[in-house]
Order: sequence, then structure tokens, then C-alpha cells
Amino acid sequence: MQIRGVHIEDTFAEAFTMRSARLIVTARSARWVREAALKLTGFATSVIGCKCEAGIERELTEAETPDGRPGVSVLLMVMAKDELSKRLIERVGQTILTCPTTACYDGLPDAPDRLKVGSALRYFGDGFQSSKVIGGQRFWRIPVMEGEFLVAETFGMVKCIGGGNFLILAEDADKALAAAEAAVDAMHGMTGIILPFPGGVVRSGSKVGSKRSKTMIASTNDAYCPTLRAVTATALPDTVNSVLEIVVNGLDAAAINASMRAGIDAACRPGVVSITAGNYGGKLGPHHFKLRDIMGGTSA
Amino acid sequence: MSGLRLTLRVPLRERIDLGPAFAAAWIGAGATEIAGRDVWSARSGPLPLGDLFTVKGTPDGTVTLAGDLELAGRVGAGLGEGTLRVDGSVGDHAGAGLRGGRLEISGHAGHSTGEGMSGGLIVVRGNAGNRTGAAAPGRKRGMTGGELVVLGNAGEETGAAMRRGLVAVGGTTGSCTLLSGIAGTVVACGSTGPDAALWNKRGSLVCLAPVEPGATYRYACIIQPVYLRLLLRRLRDAYGLPVTAAHIDGRFRRYSGDFAETGRGEILAWSPA
Repeated sequence: MQIRGVHIEDTFAEAFTMRSARLIVTARSARWVREAALKLTGFATSVIGCKCEAGIERELTEAETPDGRPGVSVLLMVMAKDELSKRLIERVGQTILTCPTTACYDGLPDAPDRLKVGSALRYFGDGFQSSKVIGGQRFWRIPVMEGEFLVAETFGMVKCIGGGNFLILAEDADKALAAAEAAVDAMHGMTGIILPFPGGVVRSGSKVGSKRSKTMIASTNDAYCPTLRAVTATALPDTVNSVLEIVVNGLDAAAINASMRAGIDAACRPGVVSITAGNYGGKLGPHHFKLRDIMGGTSA
Repeated sequence: MSGLRLTLRVPLRERIDLGPAFAAAWIGAGATEIAGRDVWSARSGPLPLGDLFTVKGTPDGTVTLAGDLELAGRVGAGLGEGTLRVDGSVGDHAGAGLRGGRLEISGHAGHSTGEGMSGGLIVVRGNAGNRTGAAAPGRKRGMTGGELVVLGNAGEETGAAMRRGLVAVGGTTGSCTLLSGIAGTVVACGSTGPDAALWNKRGSLVCLAPVEPGATYRYACIIQPVYLRLLLRRLRDAYGLPVTAAHIDGRFRRYSGDFAETGRGEILAWSPA
């Protein structure tokens, strides 16, 4: 299968079941929304080293937020469900509670699984906190030096999918980066997904384990490293000199499918040789995203 | 016709207690079953609802009462489900002990509307009398949950001893609003009578019109509480209360009190720019 001259490999991205919360963060101005969101989602690229994966789902207008102020929707994901409340309490407590003018709301109010976040953070109020029920939802008002921090008592938790991906194999690093940027731009703001890596792009795709160290759970994906073409079992065509990966996590398979379709289509541009995906032979992750099915072709 | 419609056969000449009619589960009950439910007459004792009302329609979770019901007390008292609409005004104790569902009154309501309610929603489009959302006589706690919205005026001791929940009044409220409030919130869009939030423990009285806190309240600060943005937007959008953008974006003077009690309550007084 080819799209505008770019070969689409007959392969699939292998992804895992995770647990997610959606946070709606608002603030007085877009500036402080951005500051809070960047801190909240900072150092959250991979559960391998960050304990969670997080990203900005999309910016929200004043009309879309509970308090009528500018906001963002953030998805935060973990592997084990008992980890999610810990990560939320840590991150909301350290990055949103501390940020001027912010408030934090639950973006999954209909999810039956509830995590106590505001009800844990309230103790920062040292007994001066108070709660209010508005529209059937309880919020905590925590007094702070600036005024008051408002946070939802509980946040919904749902199953989600982490590890959707595709690799852009290009003639050189500039063309790989341009294609990756185009893909991220096309995927930006799509509902139900996040791109947890810097700018949505990964340059250091990994394989499971290590050839030399038993303690490493992941190491460089040598088959796709151009500098190792001569010394490893390379997966790179001769004309490929740089590879970048787009990793996408989503609330469901449909959201990942839609975002991968948009991203791959945008990445098919001059200088890109082929698009492939990372998998582990289908033995580890229950969710398989077949590139050719996604792009409207047929898979083997 | 959607739902059941109960139309008063002849004007009431004596007080009746409509509470028993809808306190028990009623969604799904047909016209015949509803007509057979007993209510209480002040003189005659128990009598079937069908003796007072014609009952027509098919059940769909809503009931509409039509006719002059100012002598009808405890309309919707103990309601736990569905929507009960009243075309007109009702007597005292409407929605007392409401547990769930909606009670919508297009006219006025008497005294003690929503007293002791624990959940659900009451909307009074006209005025409500004294002790709206307050504690029933002899009880320590008033409202413990739910929302009670009066688009007109409310009388004295509105929200007295409330423990949780929300009372919102579009017009004026009488003296001693949130008297002995334990917690919960009263929003007063119009002027508030004297002794506002007297002996209040942890409750919040939000005043959009000028208010003079009592001597046992202390000024704390000027603040723009984010929770009020949520609350005021909801009252404007869901119920049509006279809340403006100036209120939502506005600043409030916060008074802590009542220091005759715990001092953990508050009066938030809107402060025009």
C-alpha cells in the first residue's frame, strides 16, 4: 500500500490497556492555564520511568469549562488502577494547587469508578477547608495565600489504551522531523487522545529488554537506528537515514484509529520512505492497530 | 397527553394534606391507582384522591396538579421520584421531607416549603413563605441535601438550621436568613432582612444585594471565589435567576462568622466594581 509515494508497511502497532483520568484545569487567563498544564503533564512521557503518561488533550474555550474561564483537558494514564489516585494526588497537589488562579475539575463525571483526589488534597487546608455541592458534584474549597483553590472531590477512572504508534522512516533527519511535525499538527486537539512525548514525537523508540543488561526493561530499538545499520539486524531500507516515532494513547480504540489515520496521512510527504509501527509480535499487548486497515487498505 | 393530570373537581373548602399521595413510589402507577390513594382532609379524615381530583392520562413519571390548591398542604411532601408539577399556588409545607425527584410550582408556596428536605429539587416560580428550607418544628436540622429555588421572594428564617444543600432566592429574603445554619448555602439575589446568618456555624450566605453583617461577623477579605462562578452560572442557566455577568465575574467581601458560634461560616457580599 502506498500513500503519495510513501510505503505503508503491512504491520500493526501493539498497545496495552491502561487506566485514565481526565482533568479539566481552568485559570484566570490562558497564560496560567498553559503554565499549570505544562507542569501537570511534565515528566510524564512513559510509565517506564515516569510512573504515568500524561498530555494535553485539547484547549477549552470559556464556553466549554465549568467556571467559564479558559481551560485545558488533560488525560493522565497509568498501568495499574491503584496507581492512578496516587499520581493524581501528587500532580494536582504539586502543580495545580500551587499555580495561581487555577481550579481543577473532573472530566469524566459519568465514570462509575471514582478516585478520591480532592477529598485527599483537602487536608492541605489544615481544617479550614470546606466543601460545596454544586449540581450534584462535591467540590473542596482549600484556602491558600492567593485566595482559594477549588478541586473536585472525586475523579472518574476509565480503561484506556496506551502505546498506539507509528514510525516515520525518512531519507534524512530534516525530512523525518518535518513529517513528524505535520503528523502531530494533524493529530493535535483530537478528542480522546494524547501524545505524551515531547512535542508528540519520540526519537528514542525502544525494544523490550536489553541485549547486555538483565536489569534494563527497555533499551534502544537498534533495528531502527541508522547508525547501527552495519552492526545489527537492521529493519531500515537503504535510503532511510532517520526515524521518528509518534506515540498515541487514547480513551478508546476508535480515538486512536482516527488520530493515527490523520497523523499517518499528514506524514506521507516528500522525503518519507515508509511508515511502519512498533509491536512485540502480538504477544504482549491486546490492542492491535493495523496500519493498512486504518488507512483504508487491506492487511495480510 | 403526557403523564397524569389531576384536575381539582371543585374548589377546596377545607385544608387537605396531599402528602400521602406521592410520598410512596408512584412512577408507573396508572390513573386508577393514583385516584385510589388516600389523602387527608382536615374535617373528613382520609379520602381517596379521586374524590377531589379527576385523574387522566398515562403514567410517564410526571404528574400535573391543576386547580386552586392554596388550601392544599404538604404537596409533594416526601417525594422521592419523578416530577410533580403544580399549575398554580400551594399551601404550607410543600415538598417537606423531599428525598428526590422534582417539585415545580408555577405559583406561590406557603410557609415551610422544603422543610427538612434531603434531596431532589424544588422550584417555586412565585414567592415562598417563612422558614423555606428550614428545620421542621422540634428538629435540629433543616435541609440536608437537594436544591430549593424560589424565583420570587422568600420569608423569614429561610434556610434555618440547614445542614447541606442549596437554597436560592431570586427576590428578597426576610429576617434571619440562614438562622443557626449548620452548613449548606443560601444565595439571596435580592435584599436580605436583618440578622442575616445569625448563629450560623459553617454555612454560606451569598448576597448579591447589599447586606449588613451582624456584629458577630468579622470582615476577612475581598475575594473572587471560583466556586461561586460555578454556582451562579448554574443558577442563571438552569433556573433563570437574576444573576448577571457582573455577579459571576465580580468580587465579594467575605465576612467570617458567626463568632457567637464556631466562626467558620461566611457571608459573601457582592461588591460592585
